[in-house]
Amino acid sequence: MHQTIPQQTLIDCANLTTREINQKLKALASENIPAVKLLNPAGRHNLAVGITQQIAIAIAGPVGYYCGGLSENINIEIFGDCGWSVGENLMSGTIAIYGNASANAAASAHGGKICIFGNAGPRAGISLKGATLIVTGNVGYGAAFMMQQGCIIVCGNAGANLADSIYDGTIFVGGDINSLGADAKLEPMNDTDWQLLEQELAALNISARDYNFKKVICAKQLYHFKAKDWANY
Amino acid sequence: MDSEKQVLKTSSTYTPEAIAAIQERAELGRYIIRGYGALRNVPRFDDLVFLTTSLTRLPLEGYREKCTTKTFIGTRYAKRPMELEIPITIAGMSFGALSYNAKVALGRAATLLGTSTTTGDGGMLPAEREASSKLVYQCLPSRYGFNPTDLKKADAIEIVVGQGAKPGGGGLLLGQKVNKVVAGMRTLPEGVDQRSPCRHPDWIGPDDLRIKIEELREATDWEIPIYVKMGATRVKDDVKLAVKAGADAIVLDGMEGGTAATQSIFQEHTGIPTLPALVQAVEALQEIGVYGEVQLVISGGIRSGPDVAKALALGADAVSLGTATLIAMGCNKPVYIEDYHKLGTEPYHCHHCHTGMCPVGITTQDAELMQRLPIDEATTYVANYLQSLVMEVQSLARACGKSDVHNLEREDLVALTLEASAMAKLPLAGTDFIMGQ
Repeated sequence: MHQTIPQQTLIDCANLTTREINQKLKALASENIPAVKLLNPAGRHNLAVGITQQIAIAIAGPVGYYCGGLSENINIEIFGDCGWSVGENLMSGTIAIYGNASANAAASAHGGKICIFGNAGPRAGISLKGATLIVTGNVGYGAAFMMQQGCIIVCGNAGANLADSIYDGTIFVGGDINSLGADAKLEPMNDTDWQLLEQELAALNISARDYNFKKVICAKQLYHFKAKDWANY
Repeated sequence: MDSEKQVLKTSSTYTPEAIAAIQERAELGRYIIRGYGALRNVPRFDDLVFLTTSLTRLPLEGYREKCTTKTFIGTRYAKRPMELEIPITIAGMSFGALSYNAKVALGRAATLLGTSTTTGDGGMLPAEREASSKLVYQCLPSRYGFNPTDLKKADAIEIVVGQGAKPGGGGLLLGQKVNKVVAGMRTLPEGVDQRSPCRHPDWIGPDDLRIKIEELREATDWEIPIYVKMGATRVKDDVKLAVKAGADAIVLDGMEGGTAATQSIFQEHTGIPTLPALVQAVEALQEIGVYGEVQLVISGGIRSGPDVAKALALGADAVSLGTATLIAMGCNKPVYIEDYHKLGTEPYHCHHCHTGMCPVGITTQDAELMQRLPIDEATTYVANYLQSLVMEVQSLARACGKSDVHNLEREDLVALTLEASAMAKLPLAGTDFIMGQ
């Protein structure tokens, strides 16, 4: 996830509105500028939102809600913590957070990869629709709630109700799982799983074999509404 | 004994309907799921009448004298507000709940009348986009099929917080309607009983909503309006919070609003009727000084020109129709009667949208049933119906002396019942009495 940025264009957020920052980013992407660095983000919401042309964006500091949301083809690095819903509805590209992420990281993300080099708050990977979410630390309660497709890799611990009501997709947890949610189940790890983890984590300089990964998938017992299931929820 | 036999006594508590409902639940072991909307009677626009002109006011010639219907929605922040030829829009109904033919027909009919249609839960069907000159793209809690590419094709965005048939209840699409195409658009396993969440995945509460609205505006370069749609419950507070969060327009759906599937308890026992919801929403906008700046679209059980005209007179900028447009294209029509019987119902009584076995091809994904709804014919029916509503609204407006349907006003109305008087805060007909004031 570490990127080599050959030539950087600098944008100082301090004296610009969010509108102006995002307009500049879209303009630079349309001019095929390969990389840009945002200075002084100061926890601002909605940075790098709706960018659909390829560009690498390095953000020097913490960001607020929705960083990189509703975007495609982007490569974002955030050198700081981020607020709610980082990478929300991401379609493709990568977002790396060198810090902690708050709630709803990667919510509804359809594609691409979001890596959090730290902890993620509650509901990480909620409604995930095909993206890959990697968290090197822990995730809070309700991670992967109603996940539909994709992959979540948590090297640390997972909070309560992991994978509640998921439809599909795979979750790997390297530490402890507080509890599983409705219709989630543990599945034995196989060679393909380990190969996937080794491949994904080696790119982050992490050895998958250092962790006792467990695999969680959908039990598919609630796919069809049955009256007798009421006790499950 | 004999006289008791001759006069059958019906319990007011355990009515035949209540007995049937208890016994149905006893068999199922769960709540009852069905489509359509509230079946119970509620105070409605029928309980109001217009005070048309006489000597105190001058009417316009009712046949062809100009009475304009142009309507703008989303003038607050958007660079390109929605410009409609008529004050009637088509509400969000998903591809999945509705058939392909139904969605395309709704789009084409809306285009013919110069108005908008709305996507629904499940994403933007390419054919629907092609058919609709003005398309509102819904951003729902499920985010099924939601993506930035389609977002940029939209003419407006509607953030759905709730809907009148099931406020606070989320959504449902039973497996028989989740075929390969529907499942693919929603990134779901085929045939699964699909649940649409009741909360958005990425924000909770009005403070977050403000940031969410900014995100959507940034993604669309502040070009198109953002509506916030809610089911009518705590209307005054909800409207004010949505305005504070930055909505360009409020879409408020009363309890008569329809759905393809939900628990019947939601339809019958949650939310408030469209009539009082509209009145409260107008008051809320007036109290915070944005009436006219933030437009109000009202929906839920609106069926006729008089309904539309009364909604406008009470302060709505436009109305939105869902179920009525389906009825226009043939819902509950007395054809294919044997298929109604297979569902255990009759024409005019069918609310079996949730089964996917719609006898007239509207709320189905079955290819054979869908063929019963030719797109051209359905388009014509819906367009004719919308046109007739507009003519009715214009007729009433002219009779009230208005050269623009938006000039209809509260003073043009009185109530026929005490309930309607209290809810609409209008005088009881022939009196100066307003119930509750």
